[in-house]
Amino acid sequence: MRRYRFLAMGMAAAWLCLPVSSHAQFAAAGSGGPPGASIPGPGRADEPAEQAPADPGYFAGPSPYAPQAPGVNAANLPDIGSVAADSLPAMLPQAGAAPAPGDWATYGRDDAQTRYSPLAQITPENVSHLQVAFTYHTGSYPRPGQTNKWAAETTPIKVGDGLYMCSAQNDIMKLDPATGKEIWRRNLGEKYEAIPYTAACKGVTYFTSSQVPQGQPCHNRILEGTLDMRLVAVDAATGEFCPGFGHGGQVNLMQGMGESVPGFVAMTVPPTVVNGVVVVNHQVLDGQRRWAPSGVVRGYDAESGRFVWAWDVKHPDDHDQPTGNRHYSRGTPNSWAAMTGDDALGLVYVPTGNAAGDYFSGYRSAAENAVSTSIVALDVRTGSPRWVFQTVHKDVWDYDMGSQVTMMDMPGTDGQTVPAIIVPTKRGQTFVLDRRTGQSILPVEERPAPAGDVAGDTRAPTQPWSVGMPSLHMPDLREQDMWGMSPIDQLYCRIKFRRAHYVGEFTPPSLDRPWIMYPGNNGGSDWGSMAYDPQTGILIANWNASPMYAQLITRSKADVLKLMPIDDPHYHPGAGAAEGNGPMEGTPYAITIAPFWDPFTRMLCHKPPYGMITAIDMKHGQKVLWQHPLGTARANGPWGLPTGLPWEIGTPNNGGAVVTAGGLVFIGAATDNLIRAIDERTGRVLWSHVLPGGGQANPMTYEVNGRQYVAIMAGGHHFMMTPVTDQLVVFALPQAAR
Amino acid sequence: MLREYGGKPLVEWLVLLLGVVIFLVGLVFVAGGAELALLGGSLYYLLCGLVLLASGTAMLMGRTLGALLYLAALAYTWAWSVWEVGFSPVDLLPRAFGPTLLGLPVLFSIPVLRRMATRRAIGGIC
Repeated sequence: MRRYRFLAMGMAAAWLCLPVSSHAQFAAAGSGGPPGASIPGPGRADEPAEQAPADPGYFAGPSPYAPQAPGVNAANLPDIGSVAADSLPAMLPQAGAAPAPGDWATYGRDDAQTRYSPLAQITPENVSHLQVAFTYHTGSYPRPGQTNKWAAETTPIKVGDGLYMCSAQNDIMKLDPATGKEIWRRNLGEKYEAIPYTAACKGVTYFTSSQVPQGQPCHNRILEGTLDMRLVAVDAATGEFCPGFGHGGQVNLMQGMGESVPGFVAMTVPPTVVNGVVVVNHQVLDGQRRWAPSGVVRGYDAESGRFVWAWDVKHPDDHDQPTGNRHYSRGTPNSWAAMTGDDALGLVYVPTGNAAGDYFSGYRSAAENAVSTSIVALDVRTGSPRWVFQTVHKDVWDYDMGSQVTMMDMPGTDGQTVPAIIVPTKRGQTFVLDRRTGQSILPVEERPAPAGDVAGDTRAPTQPWSVGMPSLHMPDLREQDMWGMSPIDQLYCRIKFRRAHYVGEFTPPSLDRPWIMYPGNNGGSDWGSMAYDPQTGILIANWNASPMYAQLITRSKADVLKLMPIDDPHYHPGAGAAEGNGPMEGTPYAITIAPFWDPFTRMLCHKPPYGMITAIDMKHGQKVLWQHPLGTARANGPWGLPTGLPWEIGTPNNGGAVVTAGGLVFIGAATDNLIRAIDERTGRVLWSHVLPGGGQANPMTYEVNGRQYVAIMAGGHHFMMTPVTDQLVVFALPQAAR
Repeated sequence: MLREYGGKPLVEWLVLLLGVVIFLVGLVFVAGGAELALLGGSLYYLLCGLVLLASGTAMLMGRTLGALLYLAALAYTWAWSVWEVGFSPVDLLPRAFGPTLLGLPVLFSIPVLRRMATRRAIGGIC
């Protein structure tokens, strides 16, 4: 659920500023050994107690059966009824099935989520003439007194005469794609308290109804999932709520979720419509408690908003909504990334994370272990998995799946093409699967992985490696890879490296000393996903190399650090947050985790590059065509100071690429606040432009009135420390250059 | 005419300050380098730190040897850096850039240190 990353660095001559190190945060846990009394026996490990313990104690959170806190059902909506999948009407062909050349109809432009546009007005020859056509302000940014949790991450869609998008807090708007003028705006009145780790709205979904006749309101609708867990449908022409959908155009997605508080559960990706079923997933705040709210994935009728099915990992045969005081099973793997729908196979490809309590797997059930950190192909009629492909076994490194998968036709051995999906991962291992069966098309090796020594938690003996694809990660770290501005910060980082346990990518968690996770949960491919040009067969992938430094700590140490889950009455927002230290309440241990950096200069400990972009030829043996660092040092440096240097050092990056028939790749993503155009064939950067904020969003391109536009949300990212704004910036060529 | 404080020209005070800086860097190198060596890491910092401590001490005593020891440590630093990472500028930056930068004032300190030594030889009390 998250995405994050920090700033990076640059170089400065200030070597005399000596980082005198304080290692307190990573000191050994002191009171080692498992806190035996808090480990449930085998009979209690699988489900939370029905009632809260008689003496709740200082750190006991509410019972999962407790009522939801005020604001969890944000719009106070009544429960929604159910409808059988068999009675759903046939779906009309949707805009994403075969988008008009000038349209960008889904989050990834088309149903295959290629992020490829056939537009070719902007070319390597004329791209240097691009200029800002218009800028649009969404109005969502941190107000005085609010913590900066913003990272809009928004990609507009363009269908017909409208550019549709959402603000970071889920207000929906339709813009004139030629001028940026706001045609309508639907405010949802979302509360600041509903923001989980990040205020993000990656996009909205366009749906054409088969039941409402053309010309009537809500024949074409905009669907959106919100941070405060509403599924919303508004008319694409007017922005009015669709009265025939849910309760006045809204469905409460917290129905059946059991105890929760605002901000614990949130939706940041556009819902996916497959054969008339709108599928929703959601993020659950990391690291809070073993029995966090469920990671259930659900299908609703895109026409009426009524419930169709649920995929609850621990109740694989029960696809109904819970009734009475019951709720979806707690703590199950959640899916926060954008899903991909496959109308032809009737599947939705769900990227999953791991079960709650991310860094301790001892209490996970076999059912959870079977589907975590995987791509799960759910049958959209039943909500049952048809196949599962796992990318990490028993994940305790938070390698949850952040990328949306891309559908493509893979050349087969017999001259036929195989319907495939490309599965990026945070590990930098990219899998290519037959989407009918989930079998890997390219060779995958199960290689031995190190055993762990945490009591009650064993590691998987092997892990899968996609040896047929170029790996998108750097070699394992060595002491001499430590970096810094001066010998003294380098010495500090060398000591920090040597103090930690590190035996490569699958170094198991440890209690007696820190361990290094590399690529780590900010590594490899994240929610920006990949862009695939089906004409040339070129796959564009941007990725990160940013290790994390973590240590399990005992419960008593966690108490000292005041690590408490978000729904605990004593919760202290400053003590721990997703991405940072977490209480993992309900497991024996809590987690301290931070980027592997020098906290004094806030520069990463290892040498750059920290971010890369790679082009892979998928049609001729998956060879790397070009690869280079992504992101300059201009806006980065020690203590967060900009160096102004044009050196392409390779910064952490978040947000994906667009590839066009014009032979260009457009990408922001890096922490230098640039959007750039790269030659698809050579990798050369042909044009760049300074954005008003960080370009941590997927750009998109469209055409209207014969003019091609390139749009990017310069929303910035709080964790990457790039400037947060509410501005969508749209570029086009001036008349003379076209 | 150079301004004087407490009977010393300003440049001599600056040289003493340089000696303090080198001594402190040496302390950090020895303390951190000892831990790194115990953890199985590079011995460079410990060894270089010992030379820097000697260099700083000698410089504080007004001896030309202090500057020469620093230059020796700098030569060792370059040799070790190139041995470890070759001539890659990104990798040489943290290892050699700062020490080389500090080497400039050390070079300029040599005539001052010599003058101080001469004065001592003449029998002045410094």
